[in-house]
Amino acid sequence: MSNIVVLDSLSHRKLRVHAQPALQYGDNQRFVAVVVNEFPILSLHYPILFSKDADTGQFYCGAMLGFDAGENLFLDEHRAQRLYRPLNLQRGPFFTAGSDLAVDLEHPRVAPSGDQALFDEAGAPTVYLQSIMGLMRDLRPGLERSRIFIDTLLSLNLIEPMTIEARFDDGSNREVTGLYTVNRERLQELADAAVVDLFRRGYLQLVYLMLASLKHVPTLAQKKNDLFLPGGESRASGLA
Amino acid sequence: MKTGFSVTLVESPTVPIIGVGEGTWPTLRSSLQKMGVSETEFFRHCNVAFKQGAKFARWTTGADDDAYYHPLMLPQGFTQVNLVPHWLCNEQGRSFCETVCPQGQLCDEGLAPKAITTPEYQAVANYAYHLDAGKFAAFLQQHCTQKLGVRHVLADVTQANQTEQGDIRSLVTPQAGEIAGDLYVDCTGNAALLLGKTLGVPFKDCSDVLFCDAALALQVPYDTPDEPMASHTISTAQPAGWIWDIGLPTRRGTGYVYSTRHTSDADAYDTLMRYLGPRHAKLTPRKISIRGGHRTTFWKNNCVAVGLAAGFLEPLESSAIVLTELSAKLIAEQMPANREVMDILAARFNDVTHYRWGRIIDFLKLHYVLTQRRDSAFWRDNIDPDTVPLRLKNLLHLWKYQPPWFFDEFDRLEEVFPAASYQYVLYGMNFRTEVDPSDNLGTGSIAMKLMNDNVSLTRQMRSQLPKNRDLVKRIVEYGLQTI
Repeated sequence: MSNIVVLDSLSHRKLRVHAQPALQYGDNQRFVAVVVNEFPILSLHYPILFSKDADTGQFYCGAMLGFDAGENLFLDEHRAQRLYRPLNLQRGPFFTAGSDLAVDLEHPRVAPSGDQALFDEAGAPTVYLQSIMGLMRDLRPGLERSRIFIDTLLSLNLIEPMTIEARFDDGSNREVTGLYTVNRERLQELADAAVVDLFRRGYLQLVYLMLASLKHVPTLAQKKNDLFLPGGESRASGLA
Repeated sequence: MKTGFSVTLVESPTVPIIGVGEGTWPTLRSSLQKMGVSETEFFRHCNVAFKQGAKFARWTTGADDDAYYHPLMLPQGFTQVNLVPHWLCNEQGRSFCETVCPQGQLCDEGLAPKAITTPEYQAVANYAYHLDAGKFAAFLQQHCTQKLGVRHVLADVTQANQTEQGDIRSLVTPQAGEIAGDLYVDCTGNAALLLGKTLGVPFKDCSDVLFCDAALALQVPYDTPDEPMASHTISTAQPAGWIWDIGLPTRRGTGYVYSTRHTSDADAYDTLMRYLGPRHAKLTPRKISIRGGHRTTFWKNNCVAVGLAAGFLEPLESSAIVLTELSAKLIAEQMPANREVMDILAARFNDVTHYRWGRIIDFLKLHYVLTQRRDSAFWRDNIDPDTVPLRLKNLLHLWKYQPPWFFDEFDRLEEVFPAASYQYVLYGMNFRTEVDPSDNLGTGSIAMKLMNDNVSLTRQMRSQLPKNRDLVKRIVEYGLQTI
């Protein structure tokens, strides 16, 4: 259940939030939705792919964080702030409602024991809340830009399904389906005018960032495989 | 597909379309795809819902709990091993359908055959559609004229001019003058203006085999807009025929198909109203005459009949639209290059089409001949051996000792009803084949594996698939992706 209300400094003056990465607070996602403005930094560490929304069937962009349901192999790095954490994880219990910021009061991150206050004694937004307002300014237009990017690729027939297969040292296999990427051959065959259009709109760069980011899939598999090695088990059980 | 041809549709502005016929076959998916129709647009414009087969209630014994499914999925591993003898030796109170395929359970729970993330025309469980025939005709007309370059002429054909050899030379219309072509496709419905009236090809009546010759059709509203919508056709046997019940998103299409030799129109009306319940008593059904049978030749000279002009059978297994699709496909793929080779292709077309009509008649009769009902003259007359085609009679004899499988008699490309369909109806209606358990030894382990696979596949599908109505709503709202 959720209870999303517009945030205001009077009724939510005392509200506190658990801001740190934690599985039980919603970081347990093997594939998290991202927006195109994040691609340059995401592509340094994560495979960026497309998937379909289970409720609408519409495509969205996402970063792959793990192989199994609920598995986030980057949790340690996120906790230590060594790696960029996707905006959709950073935003925690916050949403936008029109131009307002809204909060889900039923979200597990919202609790009196939370490590971050939203407002100071005078009712001014804390640094934490200001950072949330800042990331929403990226996330909101980013969603619209991402949608147009996807629609453009779809209209050029450039998106194709892809299955990621991995074999691990404990003898198990994973086959991750429901993922999509850009078809390289059809990209090569595009007419010049379409290529120039993609370039001018910045989409060609996004496409190549996505394709390059696929190189992180083996790294991600290695990361998971390390959990099966001696010394990795305690971390593996921590993820379960 | 050959190029260099143009198609002109001459449609009478005065003759109304029949407007029933809401059940289809999975072939429609490939037909629409081939025509370049978006499945999403089809759902948005034709009041479409999913169909995963048919449920036949009260056909075997007439009891309240008497029902079986004829699903659209093949039995597990159908091309590898015939599961019939394995099921017969170890029924354990489970129906044939539920032992070999998940679709009956999907239908029981009103689930859709795919998810919103499944691309257009792809299936998780094989499916066809229920649709609004009137809207579908308008949708196709628009698609064909706007996207496929079909010329559409609204005119009444009053006369067909012929050559000395009997070929049709031109059509005469008061609105558009004379229209000439090389090949004439007669789609004039029961009138069969070209093949029947002009070329004199006679009609072969089959009411000696299939007795139903009338229908009372009635569209009924749902009680609430969110009422569950069945993802299968429901066919419920009655004293002198059967009632169809088809769930479309905005309404149900129902109708009583009956034999006027066995009941009166007034009794038929009462039967339909008893089925629908008192809240629909104010609605007035529309009576449709069914002339069961087909032309003795389908392609003569330079004229070929498609649809009702070729023939019609009671809509028990939705054979009308599928036959139209198969005929259209055959004509398109075999389009004669010139008049000289046309007769060769016509002979081939007639051979295939005759075979198809014969097999459909056999298959429809199968539903009647297996009944154990003796409660009315209609059902008693239906098991009279004189009314059963010889080929079907022989097969039923054979199947007492050998269950049907896919190379058994069913060897034609694009068999309308494959051996799997016969299996579902035969064993759904309590027909039993004598099998020797020792014959199963060689394939026992693979059969066991396939049946176990079916249990896990059924569980998986039931947990993943949305409700039929829910998915249709989402398709209309969000659309399906093409990949």
